Amino acid sequence: MRRHWKKLLAAALALGALGMIVAVSGVIPVRASGGHWAVTEWLLHFAMRRSVATHSMGTTAPRLDDPAMALKGAVHYDLACSPCHGSPAQRSPRLARGMVPPPPYLALTLGQWDQAELFDIVRHGVKFTGMPAWPTAGRDDEVWAVVAFLRALPRRDAAAYERMVRGDTAVTVVSAEVPSLVVDNCGRCHGVDGRGRAPGAFPALAGQRVEYLLASLEAYARGARHSGMMGPVAAELTPEERVTLSRYYSGLPALPATEGGDAAAIARGAEIARRGVPGARVPACASCHGPGGVERNPRHPRLAGQHAAELALQLELFRQGVRGGTSYVHLMAPVARGLTRSQARDVAAYYASLAEPR
Amino acid sequence: MCSPAARSRTLLAALALGAAACRGPQSALDPAGRGADRIATLFTIMAVGAAVVWLAMVALTVFAVRVHAAPRVERRTALFILGGGALVPTVVLTALLVYGLALLPELVAPAPAGSLRVAVTGEQWWWRVRYPGPDGRTVELANEVHLPLGQAADLRLDSADVIHSFWIPSLGGKLDMFPGRTSRLALWPTRAGRYRGVCAEYCGASHALMAFAVVVEPRAALDRWLAHQSEPARPPTTPLGARGAALFLADGCGACHAVRGTPAAGTLGPDLTHVGSRHGLGAATLPNDAGTFARWITHPESLKPGVHMPAFGMLPPADVRALAAYLEELQ
Repeated sequence: MRRHWKKLLAAALALGALGMIVAVSGVIPVRASGGHWAVTEWLLHFAMRRSVATHSMGTTAPRLDDPAMALKGAVHYDLACSPCHGSPAQRSPRLARGMVPPPPYLALTLGQWDQAELFDIVRHGVKFTGMPAWPTAGRDDEVWAVVAFLRALPRRDAAAYERMVRGDTAVTVVSAEVPSLVVDNCGRCHGVDGRGRAPGAFPALAGQRVEYLLASLEAYARGARHSGMMGPVAAELTPEERVTLSRYYSGLPALPATEGGDAAAIARGAEIARRGVPGARVPACASCHGPGGVERNPRHPRLAGQHAAELALQLELFRQGVRGGTSYVHLMAPVARGLTRSQARDVAAYYASLAEPR
Repeated sequence: MCSPAARSRTLLAALALGAAACRGPQSALDPAGRGADRIATLFTIMAVGAAVVWLAMVALTVFAVRVHAAPRVERRTALFILGGGALVPTVVLTALLVYGLALLPELVAPAPAGSLRVAVTGEQWWWRVRYPGPDGRTVELANEVHLPLGQAADLRLDSADVIHSFWIPSLGGKLDMFPGRTSRLALWPTRAGRYRGVCAEYCGASHALMAFAVVVEPRAALDRWLAHQSEPARPPTTPLGARGAALFLADGCGACHAVRGTPAAGTLGPDLTHVGSRHGLGAATLPNDAGTFARWITHPESLKPGVHMPAFGMLPPADVRALAAYLEELQ
């Protein structure tokens, strides 16, 4: 019995040494040009499908039928995903054809995955492929927005896709004074007019203070404010470009948000904005964010006319403790935690309804 | 080795130090009010009584072991043990109990009608103080209580969060402050001066940093002080202070703090209308000067762990200096 174990041990050591020799020799090709053997490809794919199925167990999808949600995912898809996965306009990007495994054209393969599985792939990426994990933690809302768009993707023709991912930058005649970055990037979500594309899917930037816009772009760029969508975009901008863009949007005329809120909710929100909720240690929002005749620190964002959905989202991120930002951001988290969700919606409705020029 | 003279000098110095520790603005052994006086007398009687009993016991022990170390008569010894071990303690303790209980009605009696009424709310970790103002409206201030000399004051105590305990050792006994319930405490100061009150019930991380200043002064002086406190803040006179006043509003300080006479009307934190006139900052634990204001604004957590006030260390240093100058000017 003892001799038996010794033999086994010797065989294992010999096998390990052989493996090391093969690896050190470098004879195994890692060249993508060669592709996988059919059996390797099948095995890897099978293991990946099983892993995604197992790890997405217990994930429940939120409601994904909000058109604003799919719109949010659409622009990100076009900027970040389509270079590999293609789009109705360019089904098979030339560069991606050389990848092993080749990135699938999602409109044709999505049917194999349920929503939780798609979330798992977009959120965590896939090892041994080119699929990266979501750039930041804590922003599952953004990941779900991409999933919402993916569910809508197969039904789009090329023209509809273009409308979805380019917004008014595709159709408006843009004056030469508009920075090209706005036309090619920022404007696709925030609008060339800075209103944020309807229906409240993206924050309005028009008339926002230049100091706040610039500080926020810098926070996105260094990862202090968390977003898988804004972070990579902001990080690619040069400091001069950040200044140009902040000035451009700050200089645009602000308009009141168009979505009409429930009058009772607006009244409740106005009360909270003016007096806070002392019992819950919530100070008056207006002390930092207006409205009111006092000159305020330009690092405090103006909220008047911002889309209600955007304000409610930011309050929710503050509540969850995942809303980073400028060096002033720590002031907000305890305030947002003091508000109930319905109070947060009321305050959002109030500020969205404000027609005060910013 | 010290010489005997040096040794006796050291002993004297130590005794003097010990005696000095009994004085000061926060000492129950140096009473400056009726309640504290009764309590100090009770303490003296208890302490002297305990010393007498202890000395008697030591004397008996020495007698039994050293002076008369011989067999005892059993019957007499049993009687002595019964008398000294049960009878005498019962008599002594009953007398002390009766005396102590007899003090209670006076200590817990409410202040006579018409006494100055002061409402104090304990909050983590400061004191919200409200006086009825000269015009009938409430004057709110923080961390400072002025009481009339030779008159009773009717204190209404409650808490905004956890249980605190209100104690001015020099003036009277302590009383717990409960959220949702108002307790009444009557104080009757008999000696003018400045004293110190503290929270006497553990209430969280900065419990030990929750004190307040107490000023006992003649009623006329108190009324002048109260009239001044009830006025709105005077506008700053220096350029730096004026810049600070604008920054106070611009940076949103008014969300939590009120400065009467300005748009700042927050109620979450202490009223700052006359903060520059107070005897100390951070609930009477720090000196009241511009440097402390600046440290408090930028690093409140390092001065009072767990404090609700967020740090404003991100403000430019010049802005912090202007804010500090403004607060110092709020006399």
